[in-house]
Amino acid sequence: MTRVRVTAPRSITPGTTALPSARSAADSRDAAEESDAGQVFVRSLIRTQLRLGVVVAAGFLLILVAFPLMLGLVPGLAESTIVGLPFDWVLLGVGIYPVVGLSAWLFIRTAARNEARYRDLVGDK
Amino acid sequence: MNPVVGIAAFAAVSVATAVIGFYGLRISRTTGDFYVASRTVRPWWNASAIGGEYLSAASFLGVAGLILLSGTDALWFPVGYTAGYLMLLLFVAAPLRRSGAYTIPDFTEARLDSRVVRSVTSVVVVMVGWLYIVPQLHGAALAIRITTGLPAWVGQVAVVAVVCVTVVAGGMRSITFVQAFQYWLKLTALALPILFIVFTLAGSGTPAVAAASVNPTAVAPAGLYQNISLLVALLFGTLGLPHVLVRFYTNPDGQSARRTTLIVLGLLSVFYLFPTAYGLIGRMFAPVLAQSGQADALVLLLPGQLIGGAAGDLLSALVVAGAFAAFLSTTSGLVVSLAGVISQDLFGGSVRGFRWAAVISAVVPLGIASMTGSLALAGSVGMVFAFTASTICPVLLLGIWWRGLTDAGAIAGMATGAVLCGGAMVAGAVLGADGPPSWLAQPAAWTVPAAFAVTVLVSRATRNRVPRTITRLMTRLHTPERPLVTER
Repeated sequence: MTRVRVTAPRSITPGTTALPSARSAADSRDAAEESDAGQVFVRSLIRTQLRLGVVVAAGFLLILVAFPLMLGLVPGLAESTIVGLPFDWVLLGVGIYPVVGLSAWLFIRTAARNEARYRDLVGDK
Repeated sequence: MNPVVGIAAFAAVSVATAVIGFYGLRISRTTGDFYVASRTVRPWWNASAIGGEYLSAASFLGVAGLILLSGTDALWFPVGYTAGYLMLLLFVAAPLRRSGAYTIPDFTEARLDSRVVRSVTSVVVVMVGWLYIVPQLHGAALAIRITTGLPAWVGQVAVVAVVCVTVVAGGMRSITFVQAFQYWLKLTALALPILFIVFTLAGSGTPAVAAASVNPTAVAPAGLYQNISLLVALLFGTLGLPHVLVRFYTNPDGQSARRTTLIVLGLLSVFYLFPTAYGLIGRMFAPVLAQSGQADALVLLLPGQLIGGAAGDLLSALVVAGAFAAFLSTTSGLVVSLAGVISQDLFGGSVRGFRWAAVISAVVPLGIASMTGSLALAGSVGMVFAFTASTICPVLLLGIWWRGLTDAGAIAGMATGAVLCGGAMVAGAVLGADGPPSWLAQPAAWTVPAAFAVTVLVSRATRNRVPRTITRLMTRLHTPERPLVTER
């Protein structure tokens, strides 16, 4: 396990070779995080990330359900064609993937921002 | 089809796999190398490897075959296979990486502080892995039979032999290179022939035999329940696949695990355009294949049928190579993760033990595959997803997000899911060809909620068993790593 720590690429500020001191700083942060005050931040981070995941998943599933509903409810839509291809095939076979990608990208950006905010709160630089 | 084409294609893929595997052997030395490539694999490599490992016989052959048979209903398979990764990203990727465990049993043991939970999880993981390898071997049997005319078992034995050699020789590090190579091989093998076909059809103005909406075999359209149940299985099943999860440990930190997943989603989205195109073109220009019961071979036969001649032979060879890449990569990914689990529990985690465990994990499904007949590939893999979604998924999701999970709850939930979903699978198989009722054919819509409910209820009833390490563990799972700061 220690081997992993050393070999994995780390983006510590160049010029500082202070792994040992960084580690002891980490130990003191461990203690801070397990204190009651630290746990308030941790719990709030977990709640935020869970809410984010659920919101993105729900949004994605809504769009997913909306696609076949749209095909069923708008008369003639399923039979129409786009560049010679049947519209229902294009919608379900191609159109869903950009929605997946967009949801994933939004999630990653927001999740990273939540973690950055947490780091600021616990005074981690 | 010319048998030489099939044999040459298979030989070429096997040799390439072995060469890349042996190249990897020179750089893997320690136990860590063997298990998870020492966590230094770059996101692009890692994402290609995940894509290579995930795109199995079901994706390469099965999806197109099912689309040929049942049209737009079957489009939910590729959508579900991709969206499952979205769920993995949203709820599992980063926390699982931060847990620092090698395998799913490692995770449940650390989370619940219980050896018994570990053993139960190991059994479930091994079952899932074996169930998942079997359709790969059925795919290999089909491909060998169709393309070379050799007996079906030759394909199964050949795949198992190549997998054993690569895994025993190199472990995860060489597997990573092999898998990444195989993703791009699979993509090329599907993309080039279909582009050729499209241009040929467009150039010669061949009229379509049937419209895409015409149903070639009059298979009854799937009802609303079946589509929903299938989506539940695929969305939640991906979360628990052992060979997918073990890949996340090769990322250096949680945020890079997320980034890797984003790349994987892109790779999968691009890939699934092609089986869909095969299915659509097959429906319009070669509906005969569905009527002759060769739907799963659509991808293999279409280039030869629509192009023919030397060009057709070359393109067929490419598709056959891609198909074997699919069998080999998924099987070796599963064998690596199963061997990781088996060797840690039975052989104390040594490199030697890993090699023995790899052989065991590959040979048992070979026995099962040779005794069972093949169903539609995408359908039988869909059942494995339903099983995973009913067993591993509840424990994983609740373990990551809910402090109240207890060892008793986890065991009860996994047992409930395994009994209900496994029972439905067996009952469906016994009822056989007459077609089991849809609630047995697609059990996920009720087995997954049942497994979740039992896990939560039993955990509630045994709340004094919540492990004392919970605070420290939840902190570790959800807080960003340090001292690294990789924000921009």
